[in-house]
Amino acid sequence: MERETGVWRLVFLALPLGVFTVLVIWPLASSFYYSFTNWNGFSDNFEFVGFSNFNKLWTDKLFFNAAVNTAIWMVAAVLIPTLLGLGLALLIDSRIPGGPVFKSIFYFPICLSAVVVGQIWIWIYQPDWGLLNVAIGAVTGSSPDFAWLAKPDTALGSVIAAWAWQHTGLAMVIYLAGLTSIPEDLLEVCEIEGASTWQRLRVVIIPLLTPATVVVVALNVINSLKGFEILYIMTGGGPFNSSDTLAMHMYNESFKKYLMGYGSAISVVLFIVALTIIGIYFRELKKVDEIYG
Amino acid sequence: MARLVLDNITKSFGTVQVINGIDLAIAHREFVVFVGPSGCGKSTMLRMIAGLESVSGGRIVIGDRDVTHVAPSKREIAMVFQSYALFPHLTVAENIGFGLRLANTPKAEIDRQVGEVARTLQIEQLLERKPRHLSGGQRQRVAIGRSIIRNPKVFLFDEPLSNLDASLRVQMRLEIARLHQRLDATMVYVTHDQTEAMSLADRIVVFNAGRIEQVGTPIELYEKPANTFVAGFIGAPSMNFIEARIDSSGGAPIARFGPASIPLADAERRFQPGGVTLGVRPEHILIAEGRTPDFTATVEIVEKLGAESLVYLQTGFSPDPVTMRVSPEHPVKPGDSLPLCLDQNRVHCFASDGAAI
Ligand SMILES: Nc1ncnc2c1ncn2[C@@H]1O[C@H](COP(=O)(O)OP(=O)(O)OP(=O)(O)O)[C@@H](O)[C@H]1O
Ligand SMILES: [Mg+2]
Repeated sequence: MERETGVWRLVFLALPLGVFTVLVIWPLASSFYYSFTNWNGFSDNFEFVGFSNFNKLWTDKLFFNAAVNTAIWMVAAVLIPTLLGLGLALLIDSRIPGGPVFKSIFYFPICLSAVVVGQIWIWIYQPDWGLLNVAIGAVTGSSPDFAWLAKPDTALGSVIAAWAWQHTGLAMVIYLAGLTSIPEDLLEVCEIEGASTWQRLRVVIIPLLTPATVVVVALNVINSLKGFEILYIMTGGGPFNSSDTLAMHMYNESFKKYLMGYGSAISVVLFIVALTIIGIYFRELKKVDEIYG
Repeated sequence: MARLVLDNITKSFGTVQVINGIDLAIAHREFVVFVGPSGCGKSTMLRMIAGLESVSGGRIVIGDRDVTHVAPSKREIAMVFQSYALFPHLTVAENIGFGLRLANTPKAEIDRQVGEVARTLQIEQLLERKPRHLSGGQRQRVAIGRSIIRNPKVFLFDEPLSNLDASLRVQMRLEIARLHQRLDATMVYVTHDQTEAMSLADRIVVFNAGRIEQVGTPIELYEKPANTFVAGFIGAPSMNFIEARIDSSGGAPIARFGPASIPLADAERRFQPGGVTLGVRPEHILIAEGRTPDFTATVEIVEKLGAESLVYLQTGFSPDPVTMRVSPEHPVKPGDSLPLCLDQNRVHCFASDGAAI
């Protein structure tokens, strides 16, 4: 009987474990493997080159540029949707007229794929007839033809804005759920103790939203780590690598320059960075559990 | 002086009126307890005093100030909730000092006052803990500490002890009584535990369906209930109600029920011939030893509570079992037939509309 359940367990586990191995472990392991080679991506002839791919990273200006952009991207892609989502949730929770409608409108973009979002925003940023320039023109009375995605100064920021537009809704919905779970009597204590709106927010509501923040930040971190498609669609890392990120750089090195070994080294670095961030995150999570668990 | 006056207070939620004209004057330093069945509006009334709920009509005066439309924080009240309402992310010290912190009181002063309050409540050793690491009783102490530190004119308690187990409840009850003696404050306390009400109150206010049924000292309510509602609500186990007929044919009125008849000697009471409800407390039914019994009854169940036993009796004249108290030594057992009399001077009479006669 005991043994039989054991067998069945293995049988049922086999499929998910198999899928996990094929889709996660195997590519990961191959990345590690190829990062020590000079493989070009298709040829059977390649050699082990030791750490030379990793040494090359130190001298690669584009890698450095991509690392900085990735840092900017990550911070912005986590912070902006989180803060905007919190702000919107607080607004809607304070029962402004039309709240439920706003809620649906802001949530809607999360249902779109990065390709669709990217295309929508390419149109919005279009220099001649794009919504943004038209709107600026209407306000200022001029007729600007600024190419938002084609200028190094604005390319990354413009993509971040599109990203934030898509991801704010999710943060907002999670924060709204968090707000409804704050016990009414705690807010009443604030009223009796004479807390100002700002004090109530800072001392009570935001700390009590910590569990929601944990979820929102986790989702945003994971999403932003994966945030390759929208950059690829909107700028492709350009112009002049101004919106290049590590993922984009890795893609370019591996598939455009056929330096699969070097690309793998970049992906290994990316993996270690992601692992570190997630590690830090889980450590913080424990502290939160201590208080709210 | 922190008197509290409720002047014709009404409250509606939408079209439903839940408070129907409450008039009450509570004296400085008085301990008043609101009791009543669930949903009768006790909490709503308390929350209107606190300002957490607006009034639909009437006036609330605290001290000499009309506070009907004053913000809760400016009413000089403090409130203790059934749920304790402690901030989970703040330590005990931060919870107690919450209001002072909001008022930008210097840190040293906050520490001093928090320390003082913690000392009176004997929770000094808990100051650095978070609420989730406290027991229910300790949490309630912290909540009380947070209200004491406000130095309010009026303390409001909404069932503060109902989440505690029985023995802790008794202990905390004592502590609240002590607190009331020590502090120079008026207290309004909501409970549906009538032992709590009886033991704490200077005066008890009995609510029913958004109205006050009766206001009085615990003994007044116990001995002179104004109607069957109060009579049945105050006292545990409840008063027995017996339907009887009044017979005034022989001069002095007599109440007849089943085979029994008891003279209603009290000359001040004026009886109309006809139906009446007699109210008899369990301790006023006596075993007729050497006297002529008023009636006999069969013992159905005996509850031995230690200090006394409760006996549930089946009678020919009452559909519900009649309850009486006997001393724990009494060898009564189910199936026994007991000869009983009523303590005739203690029998309450109620007219058909429920009002005491
Ligand atoms: N915010 C509200 N909206 C609508 N109805 C309400 C609201 N608050 C209370 N009520 C109603 O008002 C009535 C009185 O409620 P209240 O909470 O004051 O009763 P209570 O005497 O405190 O009862 P309990 O002993 O169960 O606490 C109830 O019928 C309740 O349903
Ligand atoms: Mg209540």
